[in-house]
Amino acid sequence: MPNHTAGTRDQWLAARKELLEAEKEHMRQGDELARQRRELPWVPVEREYVFETDEGEKTLAELFDGRSQLLVYHFMFGFGYRVNRENPGCTGCSFVADHFDSAIPHLNGHEVTLVAESIAPLEELQPYRRRMGWSFPWVSSVGSDFKYDFGAAFTEEQQNGGAEYNFRHVDSVAPQREGLSAFALEDGVVNHTYSTYARGVEQFMGTFGLFDVAPLGRNEKVPSEWWQRHDEYGS
Amino acid sequence: MTGHRIGTREEWQAERDELLKEEKELTRRNDELTMKRQALPRVPVEKDYRFETEAGARSLAELFDGRSQLLIYHFMFGPDYDAGCPTCSSIADTIDPQVPHLRARDATMICVSSAPIEKLAAFKRRMGWRFEWASAPEFNADFGFSLPELQVRENLGPVLENPPPGLTQNAEATGTDPVGYASQGFGFTAFVSDGDAIYQTYSTTGRGVEFLMGYYEILDRTAKGRDEGDAPQTWIRRHDEY
Repeated sequence: MPNHTAGTRDQWLAARKELLEAEKEHMRQGDELARQRRELPWVPVEREYVFETDEGEKTLAELFDGRSQLLVYHFMFGFGYRVNRENPGCTGCSFVADHFDSAIPHLNGHEVTLVAESIAPLEELQPYRRRMGWSFPWVSSVGSDFKYDFGAAFTEEQQNGGAEYNFRHVDSVAPQREGLSAFALEDGVVNHTYSTYARGVEQFMGTFGLFDVAPLGRNEKVPSEWWQRHDEYGS
Repeated sequence: MTGHRIGTREEWQAERDELLKEEKELTRRNDELTMKRQALPRVPVEKDYRFETEAGARSLAELFDGRSQLLIYHFMFGPDYDAGCPTCSSIADTIDPQVPHLRARDATMICVSSAPIEKLAAFKRRMGWRFEWASAPEFNADFGFSLPELQVRENLGPVLENPPPGLTQNAEATGTDPVGYASQGFGFTAFVSDGDAIYQTYSTTGRGVEFLMGYYEILDRTAKGRDEGDAPQTWIRRHDEY
């Protein structure tokens, strides 16, 4: 934390205005990157994926739920940060997922469906979702290569022999990692448009956005060390 | 949707790799901005403000609720509104699920508006929110988020002759007219307490509050993006009105 100086309103305003220019520049760069994302080529999804959902088996196309765009969060379950038998959902992914329900009415109202996907049977996902009080759709990709094909799960061979994660080679990799993939449905064809991993998923964590403008910032010595599930903080 | 290129996995990958470099650069630049925000001088709050809450009158210090940081969203809900601004409501939707994590880092997040507490409490019940929402017309006015009519008319000027769809739509949704709606401003202010003193550290408005609109970051990763045409935010409704 930098040393703090108390200032007058005028001193603050001068510094704030200078910072505002940098913030605007940053926002314009963000707009430009969003534009570049929209320009990425679409890759037709050739394989057939089937998921277990609360409403029975569904294909990837059916997960769109009548909308033209689908976002799938690759939720680490049964493996992850501070995971054990009583707490099978990854602590980090749970933190990310805490942001989903409040965004969903607005996303759904704007042609976007957001679901989470995990390699675990529905019977294990459902109790954890109830405990967390979430209502977003959460589907099981057990028996499907979906999570592997979209770069968020890794075979034993990849775990030991190396794989691509977050678009670069890593010599060893965990069985699962966090990520989000975007799809667009057009003329009956599902297209993969975008994927993001690692710090890329911080963009979905509005809490970090708040820390970034809070007096003490993230207020952490070791990143992620303080994370807990929202019912575990005890405050 | 306008003619999207269909590509091979390899073509996509090559462009995605390029984009990733820029995304990482943007993340790093944001980290730098965060450091600069923390380095801003702090301005002592000298005035003794009074906030009406559902649990009674509170001082600014009491609103910290025992933590060292207080984050305030200035929610557009003026005395003449009969419901809260739809866009501010979409922002307020994000607060409750973040509260446990914010508290864990010593931060309290609340909303402040100029309407009487009874109006705020009734709307809060309708929307199912739990965060603290205080009524503080004087505080909101001093921080520039509540304006007298004359100044609103001056600010809007010729805009009033042909108000943009976002303004008329939100005025209608709050049971006001464009001048009445624009009598309130939206924004975010951060405070820190240090001993007996309270300091303002940060304030933002305009597009500066987009970090509170989680759906925008998500839409920015979709193939259609925000898809708002020439009328930003006119698609946004209160969560029970879609």
